[in-house]
Amino acid sequence: MKQDRRDFLKKTGCTLTMTALATQMGHFGLMSAIAQETKDKAEALVPSDYRALVCIFLSGGNDANNTVIPNHNDGTISNYTAYSNARSGQGLAIAQASLAGTSIAVPRMGNLAYGLHPGLGVQVPANNIVNNGIHELWGMGKMAIVCNVGTLVQPTTRTQFLTAGWPKPFQLFSHSDQVSQYQGGRSDTDSYTGWGGRLSDMRTSPDNPTGLIPMVTSISGAQLFTAGQTTLPLAIGTGTLGTVLNPLSPNNTGTAMRTAFNGLRAVDLDHDLQAAASHITDSAMSANAVFQTNPYDPTGFPATNIGNQLRQVARVIKKRTDLSINRQVFFVQLGGFDTHNNQVVGHNNLLVQLSQAMRAFYNEMITQGLEDKVTQFTMSDFSRTMNPAGTGGTVGSDHAWGSHLFVVGGGITASDFYGMNGVNGTPYPHLAFNTGDDADNGTGARGRWIPATSVEQYAATLARWFGLPDANLVNVFPKIGNFANTNLGFMQPPAA
Amino acid sequence: MFSLKSHALMRMISVSVFVLLSSVIVPAQDDPDPNSPTPILLSENDSTRALAAPVGKSRRLSRTSSRVFWPNQKIQMFATNIDLLDGEAANAFRVYIQDAKGREYRFPVLDIRPSDLQKNVFEIVVALTDDLRYWAEPPVDGDVLVRLTWRGLTSNRVRLALGAMGGSIKDDPDAKPTPLSAVNAMAESTGSKEDEGPTSEAVGYRWSGDRARFLEQATFGASPMEDYRVRRIGVRSWLADQFSQPYPSSANPYPNIPLMSVNTETAPPLGCGPQPVPNTPTYQACIRDHYQMYQVQKWFFKEAFYGTPQLRHRVTWSLAQIWVIAFPDTQQSSHMIEYHQQLSKNAFGNWRTLMYDITLNPGMGNYLDMMRSTRTSPNENYPREILQLFNIGLFMLNPDGTLQVDGMGNPIPTYDQNTVNNFTKVFTGWRDCRPADLNASCPDAVTGTQDYKDPMSLNTVQHDLTAKTLLTYPGVTNQNIAACTGCNAAQVYTYAYSSLNQALDNIYNHPNVAPFVSKLLIQHLVTSDPTPGYVGRVAAVFNANRTSPTQMQEVVKAILLDPEARGDVKTDPRYGKLREPVQLLTNVLRSFSVSSADLAGQSDGVVNGSVAALGQSVFQAPTVFNYYQPNYTVPGSTILGPEFGIYTTSTSIGRANLFATYAFNGLTLALPDRPNGTRINLAEVQAVSARDATGNQLMDYLDTKMMHGTMSAQMRNAILPAVTAVASSNPTLRAQTAIYLIATSSQYQVQR
Repeated sequence: MKQDRRDFLKKTGCTLTMTALATQMGHFGLMSAIAQETKDKAEALVPSDYRALVCIFLSGGNDANNTVIPNHNDGTISNYTAYSNARSGQGLAIAQASLAGTSIAVPRMGNLAYGLHPGLGVQVPANNIVNNGIHELWGMGKMAIVCNVGTLVQPTTRTQFLTAGWPKPFQLFSHSDQVSQYQGGRSDTDSYTGWGGRLSDMRTSPDNPTGLIPMVTSISGAQLFTAGQTTLPLAIGTGTLGTVLNPLSPNNTGTAMRTAFNGLRAVDLDHDLQAAASHITDSAMSANAVFQTNPYDPTGFPATNIGNQLRQVARVIKKRTDLSINRQVFFVQLGGFDTHNNQVVGHNNLLVQLSQAMRAFYNEMITQGLEDKVTQFTMSDFSRTMNPAGTGGTVGSDHAWGSHLFVVGGGITASDFYGMNGVNGTPYPHLAFNTGDDADNGTGARGRWIPATSVEQYAATLARWFGLPDANLVNVFPKIGNFANTNLGFMQPPAA
Repeated sequence: MFSLKSHALMRMISVSVFVLLSSVIVPAQDDPDPNSPTPILLSENDSTRALAAPVGKSRRLSRTSSRVFWPNQKIQMFATNIDLLDGEAANAFRVYIQDAKGREYRFPVLDIRPSDLQKNVFEIVVALTDDLRYWAEPPVDGDVLVRLTWRGLTSNRVRLALGAMGGSIKDDPDAKPTPLSAVNAMAESTGSKEDEGPTSEAVGYRWSGDRARFLEQATFGASPMEDYRVRRIGVRSWLADQFSQPYPSSANPYPNIPLMSVNTETAPPLGCGPQPVPNTPTYQACIRDHYQMYQVQKWFFKEAFYGTPQLRHRVTWSLAQIWVIAFPDTQQSSHMIEYHQQLSKNAFGNWRTLMYDITLNPGMGNYLDMMRSTRTSPNENYPREILQLFNIGLFMLNPDGTLQVDGMGNPIPTYDQNTVNNFTKVFTGWRDCRPADLNASCPDAVTGTQDYKDPMSLNTVQHDLTAKTLLTYPGVTNQNIAACTGCNAAQVYTYAYSSLNQALDNIYNHPNVAPFVSKLLIQHLVTSDPTPGYVGRVAAVFNANRTSPTQMQEVVKAILLDPEARGDVKTDPRYGKLREPVQLLTNVLRSFSVSSADLAGQSDGVVNGSVAALGQSVFQAPTVFNYYQPNYTVPGSTILGPEFGIYTTSTSIGRANLFATYAFNGLTLALPDRPNGTRINLAEVQAVSARDATGNQLMDYLDTKMMHGTMSAQMRNAILPAVTAVASSNPTLRAQTAIYLIATSSQYQVQR
């Protein structure tokens, strides 16, 4: 990292002063030291291709039960009737007829039909409806669904779960803790760092030896996912790149003021909080210098929050050569999924936004010739109770556990369901209360599916495609050893 | 690295500039010296190597000699210049280790006790076991540097050999050996310097640094008037005065916004009539004033800028960031105002009363769904958060806020899902106040609207009547609530309210509440990473006043008067907090007599857009977890800094741009939403700037005003060339340049 920044200054002759550089080395020399160690050890070849992972976090806990729905009445497995019986009385079930437009045949399920939430299909033309949504990608073989994924300390059956003392993720069903376990990539304890950040810690030196920005970029502020031990992510908003980190220069105050602005960050570093603040500003100023060149504006994105975020990712990816970067991890976020009430309309609005934005981004990657090189994937706090909360117009659902996640891009193996099998011998959970996959016990059981697949297994499959060697899986996912299968098969092999 | 004398610069005689502002009638009161002594770690006679020994050995100082130590060993080190309060113990101290690679570790202080061998010397017992656990494990390849921190002050750093003697680590530049003999000699030679006269007429007087710091903690910034007031009457009288002030200020009452019909996702807005095409100004103003937070945000900032009851406004703002509700779930400004009134009413009251009032407040009822939680469709949202976020947290705490661990070293959960389910049952059946409900009066109900002003009322048929098992803990109160079998409506009513109170007592009496709440409030007001000793002192006050109607008044006083809060200067590298956007903006604006754009009157308070861009739109936190979380650590470090949760590459530049606006032009007026605009009044600073072409007086003035005299020479040297690059014929632009550079500096961004 130290080398990279110095090279950067030489190359660009940018406005960042040497004193500002000293700031970073002064206090965060500790980071450079680590990066340097990694570099010395790993003399791997710099990759010849580009790859990026784009994490789309559905904040609040997406109701997976209404996202991927059985659209069959096969008697041997949870079917539409089982789904409908659990939810229609309170008004939360989606009518089977509405699933026709988003029906998919699933090889792993013996080609039985499943329906996606109608919001993921073709929409009535309106503002911010700009494409046919992500359902269409299934038929094109560009979308995988990983079923019943969740936080786990180790593989867990219902009997084990109900046994006192069995290791469980701490504070199941609590937003903040489940988010931090999903993003932290371990569920047995609290984390200082996230798995996106640790992936970057491992791969920055070998993959981006001359990169001008960090491997990780967040378009949604500071997030645990993006923080590594040595990785401080870049966080940017959705404005054009030339403006997004460029300080205003008021009233002709000239270069002396900018010099002082930069110089102040090189002094008084003996105070940790001040040094941390200075370091973050330094990081912004270096990225800003690069962002001033070669503007690019992709089209075809919906003017929604998530659309703007993914458009920004596309802008940064377009600058990959200027940034001298071969591997990138992005984080974007769509909030509002904590649908304890008013779910029917609210959830549909969210999924339409998600689907439109993901599809637009996929299309843009085709334009950039990167559809096989960039993979979008979703994560969410948890799924929601099968048994609704409330009833009628304001019906919603409460916090639950295992969730279905989407992976989109040309890097997937084939459109199918993936993940470990649950009690019914498939990755799709058994939709019944107080039995099977239900973590709840007793007459009030509400259907919180025990995940068959852990976050680590899901993430490790993605990280391997990204280029993380098997030997380093444990560095990024400390508890991966608790799970026998670390490759769920939905991604193609890493670059040769 | 350390200094024995209290900062002489800070201890000076008052200048007369402020005397004319006097209008305060509270009698003057002398505060005691707020400064604590700076601890000194003792070293060998001729090097900076620590005097240290394994516990139980070498009890004589002169025999303690250089040796190599190993991880997990317990050792004793020796410190002087410490003055302990009654009950102040090991948990008031921290020991930080830095290795040759710059990595930091924190080693637990197990005990501190006066040496029975040497007067004024303390033995510090330390386990060489990292308790931050960020890096894999401490190195065992040579010397490390050790510092002792106490009450926000750091000792000198001394060497300690871990695994091996020597190695590449370098002493601090100004480090000197600190054997006891030298320390005593230094103390004698500096003892007489306390009454040095002022070096600059711009600098204040005795303990002015402490008082400015106090105002940063207790208000929205040290305005010239408030600064004068607290200088004159002292912090204790100022506090007493604040506790008795009516709230809000008489000139800025809560906006009187009527309840409007509640819009649903499926129904378009009704309260403002059908939306005209094209939109009319009247319709837009109606939406803005009723269905957005405009009115209440504007009121909030006016109170922050000009309000007299600053302390209550500040504490209420902290409470609003703990017991969070937020737009757009909180749909109308009238709903938010009612909620804010419940917070402010209880800000200096009793925590248990606050718990009850918030639980039955319809704003919270809506935000966390209790309003819709029924016997047949229970909702866990509020029950979970009243435990996790508002009162006890997830793990058992010691009385000083540190985690309890079990025999395996693992934290102990406070409750499980089953507990949440049981609390959920207790909280069923309440809804927005309806006169038809049993015993409900709903005096503020308005036909055609939902009543968000009166406490929720009970729909008796939807209250759960089964038995409940609640939290358990040592000395538990009300762990079990019996079922209500065969109860009629009147009995259900009594049962429900009685159950509610029993459940709230079950929570309130949990031993976590005092340290949990105390630490959150300390983090909001004073410092991000308080020592357990500080948390414990405040928690003890919380507990000593459990039934007092002025419990929180005592808690706030304990937080602000604690020796870890007070003092002219804090030197611990981890002391203080990043200013949140709201404080950053109001602190600077209040320093320079914030005014309307034409300087003829007051700001309209319409500045929320400025802080919203930095991740802190007032009354619009993104989730119930507030804008940032209390346990957030800075990536790439172990630095606990909640406000860093919204300090990114993006918002760090945004913070600079904030002052590109406010230091120079301010917000011009823009009708209809911004009738007055906002800008700082530069008259005084411009006059100082004009007096001295060298820029030095300007820097002195701003050092005092913005940084309570702590600006380093390096910082000043970085700024001064930019000031003098502006022609001296333009003293205003000089002043603006200097204000911009100070306000945007990391040195100012961190309040300490």
